[in-house]
Parts: sequence; structure tokens; C-alpha cells
Amino acid sequence: MNTMDLDELNETAVSAAKRLGVDDAVALSARTADSMIRFANNSATVVNRVEEAELTVYLAKDRRKAIASTSNLEKAAVLKFVRDLFASMKGLPESEYAPLPERPTRFSPSRLGFDRKLEDADDQLPGLAKTAIDSASSAGGKRSAGVISAGSGTIAILTSAGTRGTDSRTAITLNIRSFAENEGSGHGLSCSPCLSDFDPEEAGRRAGEGARSMREASEPEAGKYEVLLSPTVASNLVETVAGAASAFSVDAGTSYLAEKVGKEVAAKSFSLTDHGVTGGGLGGRVFDDEGVKTRSNKIIESGVLLGYLHNLTTAKKWKVKSTGSAGFVSPHPWNLEVGAGDASYEEMVKGMKKGIILTSNWYTRFKNYRTGEFSTVPRDGAYLVEGGRVVKSLKGMRAGDDLQRLFSSVRLLSKKREWIQWWEVDTPTLCPWMLIEGVTITRAYG
Amino acid sequence: MGSERAKDLAELAVATARVAGAAYAEARVQSTWERMFVLKNGEPQPSFFGEGYGIGIRVVSKGALGFAATNSMARSSIRELARKAVKLADASSQYLERPVLLDDSKPVRRRWAPPETRKVEDADAEWLRGVLLEIEGRIADGRPGVKLPGRLLYLGAELEGRYYVNSDGARVEGRIPRVGFAGSLTAVEGGATAQRFIQQGETGGLEVVKRVKLVDRVEEEAKAMGRVLKTAEKPPRDEVDVVLSPELSGIAAHESVGHPQEADRVLGREGAQAGESYLKEDSLGRKIGSPEANVSDDPTLLHSNGFIPVDDEGVEAKKRFLIKEGVINEFLQNRTTAGAFGLRSNGAARSVSFDREPIIRMSNTFVEPGDYSTEEVFKEVRHGVFFKSFTEWNIDDKRLNQRYVALEAYLIEHGELRGLVKSPVLEITTPKLWGSVKARSKHMDFEAANCGKGDPMQSAPVWTGGPETLLSGIRLGSR
Repeated sequence: MNTMDLDELNETAVSAAKRLGVDDAVALSARTADSMIRFANNSATVVNRVEEAELTVYLAKDRRKAIASTSNLEKAAVLKFVRDLFASMKGLPESEYAPLPERPTRFSPSRLGFDRKLEDADDQLPGLAKTAIDSASSAGGKRSAGVISAGSGTIAILTSAGTRGTDSRTAITLNIRSFAENEGSGHGLSCSPCLSDFDPEEAGRRAGEGARSMREASEPEAGKYEVLLSPTVASNLVETVAGAASAFSVDAGTSYLAEKVGKEVAAKSFSLTDHGVTGGGLGGRVFDDEGVKTRSNKIIESGVLLGYLHNLTTAKKWKVKSTGSAGFVSPHPWNLEVGAGDASYEEMVKGMKKGIILTSNWYTRFKNYRTGEFSTVPRDGAYLVEGGRVVKSLKGMRAGDDLQRLFSSVRLLSKKREWIQWWEVDTPTLCPWMLIEGVTITRAYG
Repeated sequence: MGSERAKDLAELAVATARVAGAAYAEARVQSTWERMFVLKNGEPQPSFFGEGYGIGIRVVSKGALGFAATNSMARSSIRELARKAVKLADASSQYLERPVLLDDSKPVRRRWAPPETRKVEDADAEWLRGVLLEIEGRIADGRPGVKLPGRLLYLGAELEGRYYVNSDGARVEGRIPRVGFAGSLTAVEGGATAQRFIQQGETGGLEVVKRVKLVDRVEEEAKAMGRVLKTAEKPPRDEVDVVLSPELSGIAAHESVGHPQEADRVLGREGAQAGESYLKEDSLGRKIGSPEANVSDDPTLLHSNGFIPVDDEGVEAKKRFLIKEGVINEFLQNRTTAGAFGLRSNGAARSVSFDREPIIRMSNTFVEPGDYSTEEVFKEVRHGVFFKSFTEWNIDDKRLNQRYVALEAYLIEHGELRGLVKSPVLEITTPKLWGSVKARSKHMDFEAANCGKGDPMQSAPVWTGGPETLLSGIRLGSR
């Protein structure tokens, strides 16, 4: 199926919906082709190839709204799918409703984040995996596990008002962990929309070096510490801030940012922006699910919450304009960017009296999204710093806090930032190292 | 898609892969149908309807594993994809240190489906909304004795169909209907808030809603939130006994027994994502808990959220006794890990959709019941805390260091439940937790959950559960 097929699919669905008399219709059809190699113990474990296409349709009639998706894309099936969806709406109640923009927008086909070399990268993946594994081994990792994914996707939109566009993207990502004696482990990653910026060697080196350095790790004393978060760890927490900035989360009572627009929610040095599209960002597109042009939205500037992310429905309720962040149901971020600081990593470490460096984490869970109370589990390279020097490696701990206090306690941000996307960070995030005061560290009983 | 066409395409995929050189091939045509309704603070959100189907093809060629999937169901596409799966496996075989070895499990030929009184396909938006409005009617406007300004309620009905064939002779056709509820409640009282995520679900038809007493359960949870906000006091800091409710027993069984006993983790296959395990290949027979520590995983429980009588490798699924009288007894195995261990698969391979490879999954993981009544368990406690429900939880990636923060928890004094205690924290190592088990009740209950694993991520429906479980000599933290 090529791009023309996606356009035909959208035409078929929207024309059928209009014939049925809908007030609004949106068809979003997408085609993806993804390849993956996974490895463990320095050996390939499986290779995957998935080629898929899907049509998603949104219909509104008399304030009744429904969304449906199908992978059965034969013309007759699509026509029946739209008819059935329309028929099912008769039993629906009226709901919060905002009409689609009446004025159509024609988006030029976008290939801003597209690298032709990644369209069919199957053959290259085993060699790239070997590069990462070899680099990790050279740096001290005994055995490595990881995954490299490479793929391309095109999404096309057509609305009943005539808004139309296509957006094509590619991405390649690597997530690698290395293991050494005495349960030492280290983590590295690389992600990029283009092959030339993809660096499996450096990711492997970091993982191997982390594993080697953790061979004599011990548990820290529980207490409050100054904590230096790597871009990987910081991105995981920043993503939860952006989730809390969705107007849907605020309405649903699951946001610690409720009733805080215009107020300080972070340190003055902290700024957070969401970009519909941006250089180096793996996510996003030029239009959102409702056909609104995406843009850059400043969520937090100099520590002050400027506003929430909106789709048309939440924007109407809040009496603002859509931020181009739809989600038909819930607005969401596309590519996050945390503003850079002016410190180097070395300066940040040197300035720590007694603190902990965390390079990776997982399993962030909330006690209460309304208050932002959470804990997360550090893993891989973690180090105790005393008097500005790394004195030993650490394991077996947990970091807990609330998001408002945590981001209000940011003391330093690094000049250098990295793009992060991996298993624990869905939204691509450009993020610096963050030095944060007073983070609670606990350890298990027993 | 008609069942005969699905069978034809699955057979075509396997035959093509074999001709292309695969030593082993399997194909799974899998369909999904789902309908969901959402209420946010009583306001209906757009209703959702989804349908999908496609084919996943897995091969072993030159000792390497290849998987390919598509929803383009033309015969030519499937032939091409089957050949591609073989080609990809061949290309990766030069980077193999340990070739894939499948066990010699007996291939199953069977058609299966759990009982349904009222078909899930009858779940239209009106019915889904009706159930959610009944819940709304019980919990809105301060009716549970506390204001709940945040109420996000989801109810869904889904149907999974699968036809599986492999070159060893397995032919399996299955149908899994499910009904599931998820709710996020935020209660406010005097400036303080409490939050609870509730999940219930079973395989079966629309009768599930009544069978799990959904409306009553959610109302009771809302009432408990009010009581917690109004009366809970600081938990004790000295050494206490802890009684885990079925909900807490279940999450502990899932996180610190089920996951570390997945054989793929033990072998390192999930190392870069969900992690490895504190257990090694030679850990079977190792003592990890008291004689009262007994934990199992059983995919054959009728009505369960994780019901699957034949797994996604065409192997008869059976109950797995993970910890027996405190000893590591059995790992969860699929055909490739069993091959590596020199054992037979116990039928733990599952895939959540056609475009995901089958991997080792838990089904319904639980602490086995004991022989005490619930009252007798409490009578054993002189000074302790009863963890009834939890909010925040997590565990390290070797599954040794876990944490559960209670929402509803009670002080126990001399065998009697006293007042509520606020946010006690059980942060404990796995050997300490299972080594502290002193008694278990006969009473069992289960919660629905979705377990995340794999890359690409697969979120699999499961049950977690157990009896009231008594742990002795524990120190708690607090939030």
C-alpha cells in the first residue's frame, strides 16, 4: 500500500460518513513497517518484521461522538465499518463537543523526520547489534542484552471540512544493558530519526563501562540526598510532568498541576516545551488527530506553569484555543524539550557535597497523581559522591518524592542535552542532566 | 474473516516457510474485537470500537528465531512475509552463540472457548454506559460519604479469536471473550486527597459484571477512601506482624514470585527491558521461604482473566506450582526455554495480538489457600497491621526489593481490627517477605490486572490473588 492508497482509504471513509449525514468526520490512516533485532548474552534471540496498516475514524453527529479503528482495509469492509459505526451512535448520549475547524487546511506532505536509509534497514540490524555488543565488551561488560528497532511510517488525514495532509517519519533506536561480575550492570541508548546520528558504539561503551564500574556496589544509607539524574532518568520523570499537563488529566483529577496555571511549579532554571515537530525528535507530526496544525507549546517557563495541552474539546471547555495536541479523547505531548543549563557534568559532580548519581531507572509508580507523590527504582550505574568525588557504586535503593517538590528543587542543569526514548520513556525527550536537592532514598527491609 | 480462510492462510504460511528452509514454522491468525465506554466525572467520552486481525509467522531457521506479521491478508503477501521471516532468521544466525532448541511437547489439536451466558458482542454503548451510570449513581455527589471530584470510569468488552498451526502438527482454535472495568477515583476531604485505581475483569460474557459484583465493589472502595481520609492515623514504627489481604497477597505473588520465575528472564532474554531474575538456571530446589510459602500460577481457572487452556505454541497449559513449601519448584516455561533447560514446556507462551511474538507470561498467579479462617489469621496477631488495598508499588528488575504502599490499612491489636492507619509502606526483600509467611486463610479472592512485558510491549490480562497471608516480624515505613 502506498501513500495514494492511504488517501483513497480516507476518501472512502469520509465520503461514506458525509453521505450518512454526520456533522464531523476525521479519517486517519497509517502504514508502518518496523524491523527489530533482540539480543541477550551477546547472542541474537529473535528478529522481528511487522508490516501493518490501520484506519481510525472519528464521527460526530448531534453532539454524539464515536471513534473506531480497523485493520480490515478492503473497500467494502471500510464502507460497512463506517455504516456500523454510525448506526452504533444512535444509542450514545450527548457529550462535550467542539466542532472541527470549518476552514480546511492543506498540509504539504511532510518528510521532516524521514531518512530513506531506514525504510528497509533489515539487513543492517545484525551488524549494528554486533557493533553495540563488541563496544560494550571492550568497555568491560561481560554479556549484553538489548534491542535495535528501525522503521518507517506514514500517516494521512482527511476531515469532512477538507483538511488533508500526510506525514512520513523514520526512527532507529537502541537500548542496551551490559552485565558484569557481582551483578554489576550498565545502560546505554541511542535514538534518532536518521541513521547517520545513530551511535551504537557509544551506547554500547556506556553500558559496558557502567557494568564494569558497578562490580563492587553496596546499599546506601536511607535518607535525603542531593541526586544527579542522567537525561535517561530525568526524561522518565519529565514525561509524567507533561502527562499531568494534559487538560484531560486535570479534568479527571489525576494531575498535580491542577489549579496551578500562572504559578511556580518548578525551579526558575526549569523550562519545558512540547514540539509538534522538531529536529532530532522521533515523535510528532505536522497535524494532530483533529487536523489542527501542531506547534511548539511552552508548558513551563522559568518555573511557571504557562498552560495545559488541549484538543478542541478541552480547549472549548477551558475557553482557550487548541494547542494542536489531540488525541480525540486526551491531549498529549509529541516531543518534549527541557531547557539547557550552563553547567558541565564534571562541574555538577564537583559541586556535590554528599549525593548520588543515577544513570537509569524503571518502575515509576504514583501513590497519588493529584499530589504527584511517586517512587522509582534506580538500576544500573549508580554512584555515591562525597566532596565532589565519586567514592563508590551503589545498588538496592529506591528514590521517592513528589513532582512539585522535586522539580522545584532543581539546582543545576547541564549544558549538554540528549534525546531519550526507550522502554521507560515513550515521548521523545531532549533532556539535560539535572541536579536536585533533598530527594528521599530508601532501601528494603530484610 | 471466515474461519476456513484463516485456516487456509495459516497453513499457507507454515508450508511456505518450510519450503523456504525453516526447520520449524508456526502461524497464528488472530482477531480482536472491542467496544469501550468511558465516563469522566459523569460526562460521556467518545465511545470506542475497534476491530483488527492479521497473521503472525514464527520460524526457526539455521538455529535462529524469526518472527514476521502483517494484516495484509492476500496470499501473495503472506507467502512473501513467510519467506522474509526465514531470511531474517538466517541473517541473524551468524550472531548466535546458543542456537534455539525447541522441546518435544506434544502438539495439541483442539477447539476451545470459555462459557458465556450472554455474548460479549451484545455489549453496545447503551449497555456499557448503563453499567457505568449505575456506578456513577452510587459514588457521585458525596454519596459514599466523601466527595469524589475525580471519577474516571472505563468499561470494555472484547473478543479474541485465534487459529494456530505449527509444523509439529498442532492445530488450535480458541475464542476468548472478556469483560473488564478500570476506574480511577480521587477523593477529597479537608484539603487532603486519596486516590485509588480499581480493576476488575474476567473471561466470559456480559454476566461478568454481576458475577464480580462490580457496582457494589466500586461503591465500597469509594466509601473506604472517605474513611481513610477522615480517620487514618500514623502507622506503628516498631516491629509488627502484617496481614496481607488477597489483593496484597496477589500483587506480591505476581511481582516477586511469578516474574522472577519466568524462565526467559532467568536465561537473560528480557535483560534490557523488564530485567533478569535473582534466580539462576540452577535455582530449582532452592529454599526461598517458610514452609507456609506456597505460590502457583494457573491458566486453567474457569472465568479467570488469564484463562488460556492451550498456549500460543500449541501446548496444553497446566497449573504451575512455583513455590512449594518455601522451595523454588518450577519456572514458567515455553518451548524454547524448556529446550534450553532440557525440560518440557508447561504451556506459558502467550501473545496479545497477531503482531507480537509469543513470550512467557503469567496467567493467574496467587498464594495458595491455607487452613485458617480469616478470623483465625487475625487472632494470631498481637500487634500488627492489615494491608487491605494498595496504591503505589514497584520492584527492582531482579525482583528482590519491592514496595507496596497501602491505601486502606488497619491496626490490629490482640487479634482485633482497630482504626485505620495512614499509608503504611511495606518495603521488603523477596526472601524476607516469603520467609516471614506464618499462616494463610482458606478465603480466596482475585483482582484483574494487566501485566506488561516484552519489546514491543505486550500488556496481558491476568489475575492476581490469594488468601489473607500473615507475615511475622516486619518493620514498616510510612509516606
